[in-house]
Amino acid sequence: MIADLLTAVRRRAQAGDALWRREERTTLAFEAGRFKSAGTTEETGINLRVVKDGQVGVAGTTAADAAPDDLLARALASAALGEALNLGFPPPAPLPPVPTYFDTAADASLDALIDIGRTLVGRLDRDGCQVNVAIEREVSETAVANTAGTAGRYRGTGVAVGVDLTRIAGDDVLMVYDQYVAADLPGADELDALVRAVTTRLDLALTVVAPPEGALPVIFTPTGLSAILLPLEQGLSGKAVLQGVSPLGEKLGARVFDERFALTDDPLAGGRAASRPCDDEGVPSRRLPLVEDGVVRGFVYDLETAARAKTASTGHGRRGIFGKPRIAYSNLMVGADRKPSTDDRIPGGGLAAELRNGLIVEDLIGVGQGNVIAGGFSHPVALAYRVERGTITGRVKDAAVAGNVYELLKRIGGFGSDGRWLGSRFAPSLLLEGVSVARR
Amino acid sequence: MKDRLRDALQSSRADYTEIRVERTWSSAVAFRGRRLEAATASEDVGGFVRALHTGCGWGVASFTSLDRLPAMVARATELSRAVRLDEPIRLAEVQPREADAVLDLDGDVRGMPLAEKKRLLEAYNGAMLAVGDRIVDTQASYQDEVSEVWYANSEGALIYQLRPEVVLSGTAIARRDGVIEKGLVSIGYRKGWNAAQGREAGFRTVAERAVALLDAPRVRGGTYPVVLDPELGGVFIHEAFGHLSEADFVYENPQAREMMTLGRRFGKPVLNVGDNGAAPGLRGTLPFDDEGTPTQDTALIKDGILVGRLHSRETAARLGERPTGNARALSFRHAPIVRMTNTYIVGATGGGTFADLIRDIKLGVYACGAFGGQTLLENFSFTAAYGYMIRDGHVAELVKDVVLAGNLFQTLDRIERVAGDFRWNQMGGGCGKGGQFPLPVTEGAPHVRIEEALVGGDVPA
Repeated sequence: MIADLLTAVRRRAQAGDALWRREERTTLAFEAGRFKSAGTTEETGINLRVVKDGQVGVAGTTAADAAPDDLLARALASAALGEALNLGFPPPAPLPPVPTYFDTAADASLDALIDIGRTLVGRLDRDGCQVNVAIEREVSETAVANTAGTAGRYRGTGVAVGVDLTRIAGDDVLMVYDQYVAADLPGADELDALVRAVTTRLDLALTVVAPPEGALPVIFTPTGLSAILLPLEQGLSGKAVLQGVSPLGEKLGARVFDERFALTDDPLAGGRAASRPCDDEGVPSRRLPLVEDGVVRGFVYDLETAARAKTASTGHGRRGIFGKPRIAYSNLMVGADRKPSTDDRIPGGGLAAELRNGLIVEDLIGVGQGNVIAGGFSHPVALAYRVERGTITGRVKDAAVAGNVYELLKRIGGFGSDGRWLGSRFAPSLLLEGVSVARR
Repeated sequence: MKDRLRDALQSSRADYTEIRVERTWSSAVAFRGRRLEAATASEDVGGFVRALHTGCGWGVASFTSLDRLPAMVARATELSRAVRLDEPIRLAEVQPREADAVLDLDGDVRGMPLAEKKRLLEAYNGAMLAVGDRIVDTQASYQDEVSEVWYANSEGALIYQLRPEVVLSGTAIARRDGVIEKGLVSIGYRKGWNAAQGREAGFRTVAERAVALLDAPRVRGGTYPVVLDPELGGVFIHEAFGHLSEADFVYENPQAREMMTLGRRFGKPVLNVGDNGAAPGLRGTLPFDDEGTPTQDTALIKDGILVGRLHSRETAARLGERPTGNARALSFRHAPIVRMTNTYIVGATGGGTFADLIRDIKLGVYACGAFGGQTLLENFSFTAAYGYMIRDGHVAELVKDVVLAGNLFQTLDRIERVAGDFRWNQMGGGCGKGGQFPLPVTEGAPHVRIEEALVGGDVPA
């Protein structure tokens, strides 16, 4: 299909590229411990981009019966208004080997998936708690090609298992959540870890203690780190740099963070659902250091932002069926090395033992609101524990943490030994000093 | 199409089957700074089938190739059989309707050339940029769509809906040295091209405000009497209370049901809250929900007392209540779940004006607009777009970083006064739940006064 489309593009425009993707998803939902629904999704679509008279246009469709001419006509109409841009498409190149398709996931029967859900529901059954489990298995096929001769094609699998427990006592609502995301089915160890992650939190949260107050050491666990990492993700985007809104824009080569801090995007990480041999614009995948030894080493670009910044795409173009490609990370990894977790039984990965008086943050409310890119944050805690003399004494409610990410990351108090994947992010716990903690 | 749906339903071996088919034409234009990001037109087509065997759970299938409709009916039926339940799913009775609900397209956007849409947005984007050198970046977007939706179920419902939508949004970024501030405008209507005209002023205002915020101090953190403007009041009632009134939150959970017992006092008698999917012309408005139930005006809080909640057919049957027409799906890719439509706080009769509301406040905060809000059940956090201090009964200086955080129950109970100046917020964006975002909704409120609320900002160390 896209080969024909590109032939037509060559005839009626100068250049172009296209993405074809077919996805089949199977989803299971267990609500309040009961298996409630099973679903399937089949979706096929094409996203086309053309360059005509130096101007760029985009169009997409899921109307499988639509004639390619209609899609092309819409892309050309878009180009007629589009920006003049010297957009180059990548020439054919060998793609790095990365396993993206796992037979065990693709071929797993409905019953096998149901078994995973039933097992989890059984193991998470607690008095006075509601357990929900959601399982999703995706099998996809992607083809990306351009008029420069690149034609990449690969199949992928992805499995996501999310569990949440809700406990309501009077007007106190406690919700604990965790998830497994990977390219293959979870094994017994992974399911154990998932159950443990949720039950550990629940047990620690049953006791409610008064929050501390002041400028304190705070441990952000792998699930609690989003507020800390989001400003960096936005600031390291080549688009924010181009636009002049990134605080990191002029810091390439400068030490901005603690010298032990590192951030890497790795589309070739083994077994991850977000790994792929090339991005959605046909650029071969490669591991990209963004921060090394606390020094800013690079920004992420797709073809368009790279063309505008007069640099090369880093292979971070992602496209849906509709709209134009945009910049997206693949697997974002925090820390100088990817040490597997040594102990995930106590939140904080061993960092709590050193604290006389502090907080462990597992989850915050309202991450992503406000003026994120500047680095300032202020959030009530959704789930946090108090630490006193090296011991977790209970859950803290009605507290808020605030600070500036760029200040806090200049000196990191410690890295936990609990590095883990959360979706497409790998991180250990981080101990940050002088975080403002307020009661309310 | 209707014949195809009837045939497919007839072929189903399930006890209950429903089908939705959608065809959506949309176009989008976006500017970033002076640069056109993209101008595109798209077509999205697909279907959804849900089947139920007695004694079993839901079997669900969605697909983009309509040729697959008969196969997907069979697949959904098979999936339903795989979900064995000891307690069967029941659906509350709804009179099956045959109806064509064609909304006014208000200037069919499909007939407008993309170049016209670009020109329109370029003018609005230009209004932000023209505010001055301090505006270092802008984002502006125009989106429209016209959807055809067919719904049919095995009980005999057969509904066709044609509906338009148009959404405009703008973000202005102001910067001076290291200080960066933003202003946000968002406009959304279940209307067409005509509703998108004449909107320059809104874009200009937010850019001017972003510049003004550069010089504004951060609000000093602490507890204040807080007055919410109608925009933030609407967002507040949607986020902090509305989601709890969605019956799927309580129907499987005895403790949650206890927390949300009808008859419980939620606030002072001045507090009245509802959700109205039948209100004319709003983005959350639909003649029928995605289970074929007619929408309605549902009272949720009356004189401070919890009196109702929002239902799908399944949650209504489970709780022995009546369906309210709140089962909504984002698109054919999703199953309908309980969602809000147009959620509102009623303006108080004789509640007076904004000036009346603040007259006796010595020191307080007037919180306006919303950059965002999140609730985690009983806890919430809202970031106002901007705010003003209230001093000696008057609006005083502009302040920034106004974040409201608190406990829902305490906060609702502290709403002591509600003005009479009700207004719907005709905004874009939408609501997210269960992976379905952004669902078009509308919120409305008058000015609302909370006697005491925690305002984050500069936290005194």
